Amino acid sequence: MAKIKSILGYMVAALSTLIMLATIPGLMFLAEPLISVTGLTISPKYSGGEVVRTIDHDAYQTQVHRMVFDDVLIGERKEGFIQVNWTPLDRLPARIDEEIDADGDGQADFRVEVDTANKETTLTPYASWVLGLEGTYEPEGSLMIRVRLRNPSQITR
Amino acid sequence: MQGFLLGLANGTTCLVFCAPALIPFLMHEGQTVRQNLGTLVKFLGGRMGGYLLFGLLAWATGSLLLQAVGFQGLVIGAAYVGLAALLLVAVLRKKAPAQGACAFEGARARLSRWPALLPVGMGFLAGLKVCPPLLLAFTDAASTGSLAGSLVFFLAFFLGTSVYFVPIPFLGMFRRVSALQIVGKFAAVIVALYYLYAGILLCAGGIL
Amino acid sequence: MLLILPIALLSAYTWLPGLLTGQGEPLQILALALAWLVFNALFVLMLTTGHTHRYRSVLFILIAVALPLDFIPWMIKTYGSMMLTDDIMFSGGASFCPLTMPMIIIPALLKRVVIFPGELLPTGAHGAFSVMFIIWVAASLALGRGWCSWGCFYGGWDELFSRLPKRPLIKDKQIDRRWIYLPFAVLLAIVLLSAIAFQPIYCEWLCPFKIVTEFQAPATILAIVQIAIFVTLFIGLVIVLPLLTKRRIQCGLFCPFGAMQSFLNKINIFEVRIDPDKCSQCKRCIRECPTFSMNESSLESGKPLMTCTRCAQCIDACPEGAISYHIKGTSLKASPAVARALFLYPAFLLMGIIGLGTVGMGLWRIFKLITTGSML
Repeated sequence: MAKIKSILGYMVAALSTLIMLATIPGLMFLAEPLISVTGLTISPKYSGGEVVRTIDHDAYQTQVHRMVFDDVLIGERKEGFIQVNWTPLDRLPARIDEEIDADGDGQADFRVEVDTANKETTLTPYASWVLGLEGTYEPEGSLMIRVRLRNPSQITR
Repeated sequence: MQGFLLGLANGTTCLVFCAPALIPFLMHEGQTVRQNLGTLVKFLGGRMGGYLLFGLLAWATGSLLLQAVGFQGLVIGAAYVGLAALLLVAVLRKKAPAQGACAFEGARARLSRWPALLPVGMGFLAGLKVCPPLLLAFTDAASTGSLAGSLVFFLAFFLGTSVYFVPIPFLGMFRRVSALQIVGKFAAVIVALYYLYAGILLCAGGIL
Repeated sequence: MLLILPIALLSAYTWLPGLLTGQGEPLQILALALAWLVFNALFVLMLTTGHTHRYRSVLFILIAVALPLDFIPWMIKTYGSMMLTDDIMFSGGASFCPLTMPMIIIPALLKRVVIFPGELLPTGAHGAFSVMFIIWVAASLALGRGWCSWGCFYGGWDELFSRLPKRPLIKDKQIDRRWIYLPFAVLLAIVLLSAIAFQPIYCEWLCPFKIVTEFQAPATILAIVQIAIFVTLFIGLVIVLPLLTKRRIQCGLFCPFGAMQSFLNKINIFEVRIDPDKCSQCKRCIRECPTFSMNESSLESGKPLMTCTRCAQCIDACPEGAISYHIKGTSLKASPAVARALFLYPAFLLMGIIGLGTVGMGLWRIFKLITTGSML
């Protein structure tokens, strides 16, 4: 028994070297499968959630993300946000004036006017659950706004 | 039944929101499983008190006051600050020494009793935190139309959520590991500092 | 010596392809090759002299110092500043660090999201989640808390300042040993709070090493408070207290990642053992251990606490040669040289994976500064 434990011990110890050796090719070949198998995504608090609608303009696109209320461990928040990106940054007009349908019901929920040079943004809510502008940002390659929303499913009857 | 099912469906959220305060506190106390059960019952009792108070407020004032963001922020913020203070007192207090030696039995009896109120107070303030499932419960309870209906709904909801707290007293199985008591004390202080910060922020948002 | 050859060849992957294909900047290839020489030379010395800690320590400190030498200029060149703005975070530009692992586990398991503003796959950011995750899993399986002395690219700072003074001003007896439980408390608190806040609490509030990598821009009062906290923690835990105590205070008495890795020591095949027949009870190991992992009960039980980082400082310090690496399951009288060699290989490989490129690139930045006047 002691001999078996000893042999196993040495084997596992040698395996440790093999594990570290396998890490080098592992970094190249396992990274993508790891993400696709686990289905992991970056928290919507940072990524803005998935793009649900893309509107094509002549030189640029408007990407409307889903409404985010689920950046919490369980359930949904009372208040969240929606992210809208305009891309590519270098082909945007001097002024963007667009109505955005946040909940996908075919009706515009707010209007946004952006001066793309100085990022000055004016938000006009149409729906009562659109609370206001959280901020205007320039992540890589695009212009982006986040609009604060009240969770429509949690509004008191 | 509806309230109980709503509680069952959302109880994990309640556990998650209460855990940062409850778990370090229980670890620090180093009690047996049975004693932990008693502490948990006091905590849940306090929590129910917080829920019922909010439920009464919601029924009495109509949900208007509840919806007023500033008011909510102030109440929840104050609850966080209170919870932080209680947690700090709970873990940093010197526990009452062995009975029998002191002549001032009246004062001693009072002093040895008040630590028992700590979990009640913590539970009450934790209950005031208005976690997301609680808002759903308010909305549904208010729709019953009567005070008695609201209270029964809340009680059932509370029972549904409390199911998930059942494993917590089993922390007592590890009470002999004195390291856990020390870890619990340190963790409670860190959690309390975080609640203090969150509470002050919410209060400031509620006032401004 | 023959056994060193495969390691030396393998670790040449950082610079050899560039040299053979003719691609890659000559100065960079030179820097990486120099780093490779230093690494392998110290490994040879480690194996042949029987001293582990003194050579490990040099590499460990080199890695920590080299990281900001490369990382900060990279941040400035890529984003214009070492400060993280919302723009950078929304682009997934924050570099993923293994210290976030304890905080991301619960949200990742329950909601399959990573609560960190970084990238999942290696594209632009210095460290992507998938890369760090794979390295962490491999290192944890192979070495347990050995990560803390062979892989961590921050611990070298703690080690540097702890090694500077000749004697500690605050002696061992003056330090309350209950502080060794603080890392576990920090771990518990940040796991619970990060789960409910859905944000990496340690990264936002407590990590002292933001000062040598990246930190949130002071655009709000809150951010300024957070900066003040981590600067204070770095100065206190990484500089001042290690200078006063000659111990790795941040690593031993604060770091929650180290606390998490301590649990992995329980399942790791390697351990450090004290031979009771040789031990003269001089307690030098207790005074030397940088992470407070040796105490009176260790001498009785014959092994350090679960917080041992396998740094080998006690092994090298023991005047009786009573302390050694050991493989669980094998005889206590088995040759320590075999156990040591079997430990050093994966340990050095981890050090190479984490640090060879880092030291090489840090060296390259210095060469660039000398030759062009700029590190960018």
